[in-house]
Amino acid sequence: MIEVRDVSRVYRRGADEVHALEHVSLRIERGRFAALMGPSGSGKSTLLNILAGLDRPTSGVVEVAGQRLNDLSEDQLAAFRARHVGFVFQFFNLIPVLNARANVELPLLLTRLGKADRRTRAETALRIVGLADRAMHKPNEMSGGEQQRVAIARAFVTDPEIVVADEPTGDLDAKNAVEILALLRDLAREFGKTVVMVTHDPRGEAFVDEIHHLDKGVLLDSIAGGGAAA
Amino acid sequence: MKFLPFIWRQLSRNKLRTALTAGAIGLAVSLVCILLTMPAGMDALLTQVASNTRIVVHNEAGLVYPLPYSYLQKIRSQPGVVSAASWTWFGGVFREEKGVEFPNFAIEPEPIGSVWADWKIEPQQLEEFRRYRDGAIVGRGTLNKNGWKIGDLVTLKGTVYPVDLAFRIVGEIPNERSPIFLFQREYLDQALRAGGRGGLDILGTVWLRVDDPARVAPLMSQIDEMFRNSEAVTASETEKSYFANFFSMLQGFVTVILIVTGLVALCIVFIAANTASMAVRERIGEIAVLKALGFSRRLIFTTLLSEAVLLSTLGGVLGVLGALALTQLLRAGSGWNPALGPLGSFIVTQAILVQGLFLALFVGMLSGVVPALGAARRSVAETLREVL
Amino acid sequence: MLPIRYALGNLAARRTRTLLTVAVIALVVVATTLFGSLVSSLRRTLVGTGNERNLIVLRKGATNDGSSVIPLEAFQSLRFFDGVARDAAGNPLASPELVVQPFFRTAGGGRENVLVRGVEAVALQVHDEVAIVEGRMFHPSSGEAIVGSGVAGRYVGAKVGDTLDFGRGHWRVVGRFDSNGSSFESEVWVDVRELAADAKRSIPYSGLRIRAAEGADMDALARRINDDPRYALDASPEPAYYEKQAESANALYFIVVGLAVLAGIGAIFGATNTLYAAVQSRRAEIGTLRALGFSRTAIVVSFLIESLVIAFGGFAIGATLAALLGRLVSWWLGGIAFGAATFTTNVIQLRVGASDLANALALALVIGLVGGIAPAARAARMRPIEALRRA
Repeated sequence: MIEVRDVSRVYRRGADEVHALEHVSLRIERGRFAALMGPSGSGKSTLLNILAGLDRPTSGVVEVAGQRLNDLSEDQLAAFRARHVGFVFQFFNLIPVLNARANVELPLLLTRLGKADRRTRAETALRIVGLADRAMHKPNEMSGGEQQRVAIARAFVTDPEIVVADEPTGDLDAKNAVEILALLRDLAREFGKTVVMVTHDPRGEAFVDEIHHLDKGVLLDSIAGGGAAA
Repeated sequence: MKFLPFIWRQLSRNKLRTALTAGAIGLAVSLVCILLTMPAGMDALLTQVASNTRIVVHNEAGLVYPLPYSYLQKIRSQPGVVSAASWTWFGGVFREEKGVEFPNFAIEPEPIGSVWADWKIEPQQLEEFRRYRDGAIVGRGTLNKNGWKIGDLVTLKGTVYPVDLAFRIVGEIPNERSPIFLFQREYLDQALRAGGRGGLDILGTVWLRVDDPARVAPLMSQIDEMFRNSEAVTASETEKSYFANFFSMLQGFVTVILIVTGLVALCIVFIAANTASMAVRERIGEIAVLKALGFSRRLIFTTLLSEAVLLSTLGGVLGVLGALALTQLLRAGSGWNPALGPLGSFIVTQAILVQGLFLALFVGMLSGVVPALGAARRSVAETLREVL
Repeated sequence: MLPIRYALGNLAARRTRTLLTVAVIALVVVATTLFGSLVSSLRRTLVGTGNERNLIVLRKGATNDGSSVIPLEAFQSLRFFDGVARDAAGNPLASPELVVQPFFRTAGGGRENVLVRGVEAVALQVHDEVAIVEGRMFHPSSGEAIVGSGVAGRYVGAKVGDTLDFGRGHWRVVGRFDSNGSSFESEVWVDVRELAADAKRSIPYSGLRIRAAEGADMDALARRINDDPRYALDASPEPAYYEKQAESANALYFIVVGLAVLAGIGAIFGATNTLYAAVQSRRAEIGTLRALGFSRTAIVVSFLIESLVIAFGGFAIGATLAALLGRLVSWWLGGIAFGAATFTTNVIQLRVGASDLANALALALVIGLVGGIAPAARAARMRPIEALRRA
């Protein structure tokens, strides 16, 4: 239910032209936990951004959750992201001046839910990631692992079809990294979400259903991951 | 100052912020300068009239109470009086709708050059004034305001006396601030007689020059004593005292102006401090690296402080230029205002310019100290760990 | 829309920056409000004087009360004109007056011209906003005087029970009057004949004030007075006359507006600076919000709220300080003196009024809006992926 057909992305850096993606075609089915892997500059982050509706391809077609993203305006893309996409970032990117619950509630403000509903959902999401007791704490009062879990709660709270994660374990130590990867896999399974992750972390291979390798903007191959077996 | 290019480069990192800060400080300095022209106008008047041998004699009850014209001769005949002239308020209007826009007086032409030698009116012009009954000598302030030149014809309609008088400007009082319009007493006297009324038998005030400063005090008591039991009692005072009294009324207004000026100056401190602290905060990591490379704390402090001072001085220069331009506009647009008097001359003196620049410089230094000190003191290792 | 807590939280998080910016705006508000209320107090005093139903009659060509002369016969015939109001006993409400400007000594040793108005008892009926608040009205030919509230306490001997020295004589102060803050409060009133004798005026009156009867045509009455061939007179409604006198205050308005504009622009620059820095330091956060799906409008609104809260804080502090400072200065100086066109002293009480506060609020809001709009727009224009890219 994520499909890109012959997608290329070229952008200008001063006088140079950078070919970030070259004619990539890819399909990820619903409910799968996929990883995009490759060395620096391989285009994996660019591809992720295009899938998430954060960026537009220079050519090619992008279809996510039945929606053609090419045709949407900036504001329409924003609305699309609000409803259909959840985000997890490498540096957590929580709002420092809001507490955990308020951070998780943030995407819900873009929906029509009333105050009570929003609160319930946020608390539920926090409970699912195991941080119900940290609801009132600010990000600077939590460890890296806890912050990322709050971020994951935030990503899932609107019940989006897809969740994208950009190097979610990049800033975590080994123990936390494994916990986060497991959490992502479990949530994908339990709620039937499509999760696409960009990562350097070789540990990720054990958790995902499929791995897509990129290098220099080109899709090299797609193989099954360890998660498929579990 | 080999670090000057380095400091300058720091300021041009964020050109917008530098421009906004310099602009804000510039505006504040402009304001301070413009506001300061008001009390400066008053001070200038008081110090300019530094003549210590000029006395004014007026009715003790008030300036609006006249004195008999015969007093002038009696005063002239006192020993020690070099020369004396009388001033009588005419209150003529040039543009009827605007009312009295500049003070105008009737005066005897002959003694002017002697009593007011320090006004430096051209002797040639005084000669013309003596010769032509309808002549007028006008202060440069009023000449500029109305765009008049020597030779122009001007008519004033009387408001106190029911006559209109036509004049030819024959001379000027070469003082930017002077609004005065002087004409011959004889002229008014004749016009009144021609109208069937009696002549001008009163005068407003008598101004006289004394030969020796030591004689001033005794002469003043002598004159007042002379008229003590007459129908019009006089009060003599020195010129300085006269003007000081005249403007004592404006003291309250000046106080408010000074308070407002102080507030605006304080504003500058906060603007500069804000920018300095933001700039430093953003460069914490970079500063730590510099320290690691071997820049001493003192050097860091000095360069950061210099940056703040340079920036606010830039603002100061802009402000001073702005003040000069704006006061030019103000002078063109307003005239002699009875509510303001000398406060409304809006002339930016050199002293004010210097004060404005120093304010900016001083403020820059003051506001930059705390952030610069903070940055210089921070531990390098701690900072690097935090940031990188 | 983003929660207000987000905007407020960010302001609280960067306290130094927020407080310094609030301080700048507060100072600008204090400065402009103080100066502005000085001028509006002056104007209120000057313009507030003047009763709509009164005509002021001066000699033709005279620009003010102090430089005019009216013959006795003129008064005697004018008061019986049609249209002039009458009191219960049938006496015309026409007040003959003499204005003189003698020296008074201030408590601080200075010397000022004060407007002394010679009147008859009927003046209290024609100028009906004048009310005796202490003591009583003077008795004619008794060497007595009443003083306006602005005068009392400013000059030596100006209190009820004391003796005032001016002109050629001594005058016992028997009463004090208020007049709704108008310029009459800066005057001293005495018996007109005594004043004329003291000032040696052969023609005793300088002007007349006439109350038009209910329903009478004031214009017609004024025209009749102006057209009377026997005397060269000029009658105009009091408000129009005082409006003209207030024109000197108008020049001061330019200064106030100029001050507000220059200071306001300076404050705008200050606010813009602060907000740009905020936008810069919150790049990643803004990118996150955009990624989550918040629209550009939501971002703009949130930053504008930050800007407006700062501006409002500046207004609240500045307005309070201005009001306090105004009271303090006015009390300490005993009122602030201005020169009137009559070359006398108008003592005004510096009061920060509702309109001054409204102006201050408007100024603060403009600073907030204009100062915040450019940084807010920049925040909104950020493309999410660029914002998220950690340099």
